[in-house]
Amino acid sequence: MATTAPRSGKQREAALALGLLGLAVLVVAIAFFSITQGARPITLETVWAALTAFDPQSTDHRIIWDLRLPRTIVGLLVGAALGLAGAVLQGATRNPLADPSILGIHAGAALFIVLGVAVLGITQLSMYVWLAFIGAAVAMLVVYSIASLGREGATPIKLALAGAAMTAALQSVVSAILLTSPRTLDEVRFWQVGSLAGRGMEIVIQVAPFLAVGIVLALVTGRMLDGLSMGEDVARSLGQNVGRSRAIAGLAAVILAGASTAAAGPIAFVGLTVPHVARAITGPNYRWILPYSMLMAPILLLGADVIGRVISPPGEVQVGIVTAFVGAPFFIALVRRRKLASL
Amino acid sequence: MASIDATTKVQTIRRNLASRRYTVTASLVALLVLTFALALYLGDYHVEPAGVVRSLLSPFTGDVNKGVDFIVLNVRLPRATLAVLTGISFGLSGIIFQMLLRNPLASPDIIGISHGASASAVFCIIVLGMSGIVVSFGAFMGAILTAVLIYALAWRDGVTPYRVVLIGIGMSAIMAAIMSFLFTRARLFEVQQAMAWLVGSLNAARVADIAPLAIALVVLVPVTVALVRGLDALQLGDDTATALGARVEFTRLGLIVAGVAYAAFATAAVGPVTFVAFVAGPIARSLLAGSGKGFVQAGLVGALVMLGSDLVAQHALPSVQLPVGVVTGVFGALFLLWLLIASNRAGRVN
Amino acid sequence: MILKTLLPLSVATLMVAAPTLAFAAQWSFTDSTGQTVTLDEVPSRIIASQDAAAGLIPLGIRPVGIYADSPVSEAKALQGLDLTGIEIIGQAWGEVDIEKAAALQPDVIIAEYWPVSKEWSGGNDLTGAESPLRSLAPITGVTVGESIIEIIEGYEGLAAGLGADLSEPNIAAEKARFETARDGFIAANKAKPNLTALAVWAGNDGLYVATPVGSSELTDFKTWGLNVITPDNVDEHGYFENLSWENADKYQTDLILVDNRAEATMKTALAQPTWTTLKAAAAGAVTDWPAYWLRNYGAYASELEKLTTAINAADENLTE
Repeated sequence: MATTAPRSGKQREAALALGLLGLAVLVVAIAFFSITQGARPITLETVWAALTAFDPQSTDHRIIWDLRLPRTIVGLLVGAALGLAGAVLQGATRNPLADPSILGIHAGAALFIVLGVAVLGITQLSMYVWLAFIGAAVAMLVVYSIASLGREGATPIKLALAGAAMTAALQSVVSAILLTSPRTLDEVRFWQVGSLAGRGMEIVIQVAPFLAVGIVLALVTGRMLDGLSMGEDVARSLGQNVGRSRAIAGLAAVILAGASTAAAGPIAFVGLTVPHVARAITGPNYRWILPYSMLMAPILLLGADVIGRVISPPGEVQVGIVTAFVGAPFFIALVRRRKLASL
Repeated sequence: MASIDATTKVQTIRRNLASRRYTVTASLVALLVLTFALALYLGDYHVEPAGVVRSLLSPFTGDVNKGVDFIVLNVRLPRATLAVLTGISFGLSGIIFQMLLRNPLASPDIIGISHGASASAVFCIIVLGMSGIVVSFGAFMGAILTAVLIYALAWRDGVTPYRVVLIGIGMSAIMAAIMSFLFTRARLFEVQQAMAWLVGSLNAARVADIAPLAIALVVLVPVTVALVRGLDALQLGDDTATALGARVEFTRLGLIVAGVAYAAFATAAVGPVTFVAFVAGPIARSLLAGSGKGFVQAGLVGALVMLGSDLVAQHALPSVQLPVGVVTGVFGALFLLWLLIASNRAGRVN
Repeated sequence: MILKTLLPLSVATLMVAAPTLAFAAQWSFTDSTGQTVTLDEVPSRIIASQDAAAGLIPLGIRPVGIYADSPVSEAKALQGLDLTGIEIIGQAWGEVDIEKAAALQPDVIIAEYWPVSKEWSGGNDLTGAESPLRSLAPITGVTVGESIIEIIEGYEGLAAGLGADLSEPNIAAEKARFETARDGFIAANKAKPNLTALAVWAGNDGLYVATPVGSSELTDFKTWGLNVITPDNVDEHGYFENLSWENADKYQTDLILVDNRAEATMKTALAQPTWTTLKAAAAGAVTDWPAYWLRNYGAYASELEKLTTAINAADENLTE
C-alpha cells in the first residue's frame, strides 16, 4: 500500500496490531466468564475439576461440558461470523445499513424454519440449522440477483430496496403460517429471539466447517473491499474486477450470516453495530476493520449472553434481547456523535 | 416571435400536466368507488346487489331486514370504511416521510414509528392484559412517544434525514427486542392475540375505531394541505431553503407531526399493516409521471391498496380469512420487485 | 376441604336445577358472572367455542358451528370427536369469520368464562361487550374453575337444559369409565404414599414447572392423592416457574408429567443435555400431563388410565 506518510503509517499499523492483541485478550477473558458464570452457581474449583477430571455423575460437571462449553464456542463462532458478515456486507454494498436483517437473510432463514416446523413437523434445533442455512442463502442470492439486474449491477440503493422487499414478502408468509398454527408459533417464538442457550456440541460440529470457510474467505476480502470503497470506477481503474470482488464478498457473507443465523437465530444488532465501532477505531481500512470486527463481535455477543444468564435468576434473558439493549443505544450514540465515515 | 412560441409551448405542457393530474385523480376515485361497492357486495353471506342498496337505504326508508342489514351495515360497511380511512392515513403518512426525508425507504414502517406502536400494543396485551380499544390507545401513544424520541435523539443543531433514518432503525431494533422478550414471557394465547394485532387486520372493524380516525382526518388533511404548499421550498434542498429561515423549520416540524399522527391513528385502528405507507407515494408519483407532487393521489392509492388487499385477504382462499397485512406485505414486495426490474430495463435507477 | 368440595357441588346442582325451573317454553341460563340469558325457546342452533364443543358434543348436544383457537387438527380438546356437518368458523385465536357465523343464524353462542382474565373464549375482541359475534346472539357458558369435574358438571347442567338425555347408555358408560379410572388412580396413589410428581412444559429457553393452583386437572390429581409439587417462585402470570436448563434439577420427583398439548414439548425436553439431571427423566418415569384441555369424561378417563399406569410403574423411593 502506498502511503504518503510512511513513518506515521507504520506507527499507526503497530498501534492497531497492539489493539488487536488487546481484543484477543478480552475475548479470552469473556470466554472465561462465559464458562464460569451461569444461572447455576458453580465454584471455580468445580469448573477446573470438570475441565481436567470429568465426572459424568456430577450434575455440575455435566453442565460445564454439555451446556456452557458448547454455548461459549457457539458464542465465539457466531459472534465472529456476525461481525465479519456485517463488515463484509457494508463494504461490498457500500451501505452503512447493510446487515443480515436488512438484506433479507434473517427473514429467509426464518421462513424456511417456519415452513420446516409447520409443514414438515421438524422440532429439533439441529434440523433448524440446515433449514436456516438454506433459507438464508436462497434469500441472499435472490436479493442479490434481483438487485444485479440491469446494466449498472447491484448498486447499494437497489440492494437495500431488494432486501427490504424480500424481508416484507417473507415476513408476510411467516406471519400467515404462524397465525394459523399456534404449534409452530410456540416452537418458533423462542428461536426468533436469538439465543445461545440449548445449543449443544452437535450444533457446533455442524456449523463450524461453514464458519471456518466463511471466516477465511471474509478475511481475504479486505483488499477488495478497500478497492470497492473508493468507488467502482476508481477500483476498476486500479485493475480490480469489481464484479468478482462483490461475488466473493457476497459468498463469504452468505456463508457467515446463514450459518450463524442457523446456530443462534436472528441476532440483529451485532452485525450492524460492530463494524461501525471498528471503523471508528481503525479508520476506513478493511484490512483492519475485518479482524477488529471479528474480535469485537464475540466480546459483545458473549458479554451480552453472560449478562442475560445472571440478570434474572433462576431464568435467563435471551442474548438477542440483551444485544439489542446494549447495541442499539450504542449505535444511536454513535450516530449522534459524528457523521459516520462515509463508505 | 420565438419567445411567444416558447411561452405557448410551456402553456401547452402545463395544460397537459394538469389534464394528466385530473385524469389520474378521477380514475383513482372511480376505481375506489367501484372497489368499495364490491366490498359491500362480496362475502360468505350471500346478498343480492339490490339487497345491498336496500340495506344501505334502510335507515332512511325504514325497510328493515335484520339479517341482511347486520351483514351490510354492521360488518361490511364499517370494514370497508375503515379500510379506506386507514389507507388514506397510511398513504399520506408514507408520502410525507418520503418527501421530508428524501428517501424512498423512509416510510413510517421502516423508521421505527410502527415498531413503537407495535411494542406498546404488545405490552398492553401481554403485560397489562388489555384488549380492544385500550390497546389501540396504547399503540397510538407508543407511536407518538417513539416519534418524539427519534426526533429528540436525532436533534443536533437541527435534524438531518440521515440521522432520523439511522436512529429510527436503531429504535426499531430496540422495539423488536422488547416484543420478542415479551413473546417469550407470555402465555401462548396472549402471543397469538399479539401476533394477530401485529399483522394488522380489519376483521374486528368497529364503529369505535372509525370515529377517532375520521375526526383526525377531518382536522389533519386541511392542515397538511396548507403545510404541503411550503414543501416546495423544502424540496429545493436545505441550503436554498435555509434562506426562508424559521418558517421552513416550522413547516417541516408541522409536517412531521402530521405524518406521525396519520401513522399513529391508522396503526391504532388496524395494527401496523405493512407496505401501504411504503408503496402509496411511489405508485402515485409514477402514475402522475411528473405532473404533480402526488400528495392527494398517494392518499387515494393508499385507500385503494388497503381496500383491494382486504378483499383479496377475505376471498382469495376459500377456507381461510387472511389478515390484510399478509396481503399488503406480499403486494408491496411484488410492487417493489417489479419496480426494480422495470427500472433496470429502463436503466434509470442509480 | 369439605367446603371446597361442597361449593362446586352446590353450584352444579343449581346449574342443573336452573333450566328445569324455568317456564317450559322458555330457556334461560345464568353464568357465574350473574348474567342470565333468556330465550323464548330452547336454542337449537348453537355456535360453540372449541372447549365448549368438547364439553357438549359427548353429551349429545351438537353445535352448528365451532370456533377454535388453532387448526382443528391441532386442537387437543376436539381430538376423537365427530365433527362431521359442523361448520368451522374460526381456526386462530380471536378470529371468526363473522359472515359464516351470521349465515348459521345462531340462537346462542356457548363459550367459556375465564375468571382470571375476566373474558370469554376467544378474548374480548371476539366476545366482548360490543363484539360482532355478540351482536349475532347472546353469549353464555360454563366458568373455568378449580376442578375439571366442576367444568364437566357445568356442561352436564347446560346440556340437560338444552335437551340432552344424560341417561343415554353411551353417556352413562363414559361417566362410569371415568369413575373406574378415577378410582384406579386414587388406589394407585394410596399404594405409593411417598410418590412425588412434577408437571412441566419444556422450552428451548428453559424448563417451566407448573403450579397445581393454576391448573384444574392438577388440582384434581392432588385431591385424588397424587403429590404434585408446587414450585416456589411462580411468575407473574401465576401458572409456571421458569427454570434455566442449568437449574433443571431444582425439583427432584419420582414422576414427571409433560404437557401434551404439543408433541414437540417432549422432543424439546429430550434434546436438552440436562433433562436427565432430573432423576425421574433418567429413570424413564415420564408421562403425559393433559394440560388445560380436558372437557369430558371420556378424554379424562383415557388420560387417567395412562397416568395410573405410569404411577404403578414408577419408583416412589427414587427421590427423597
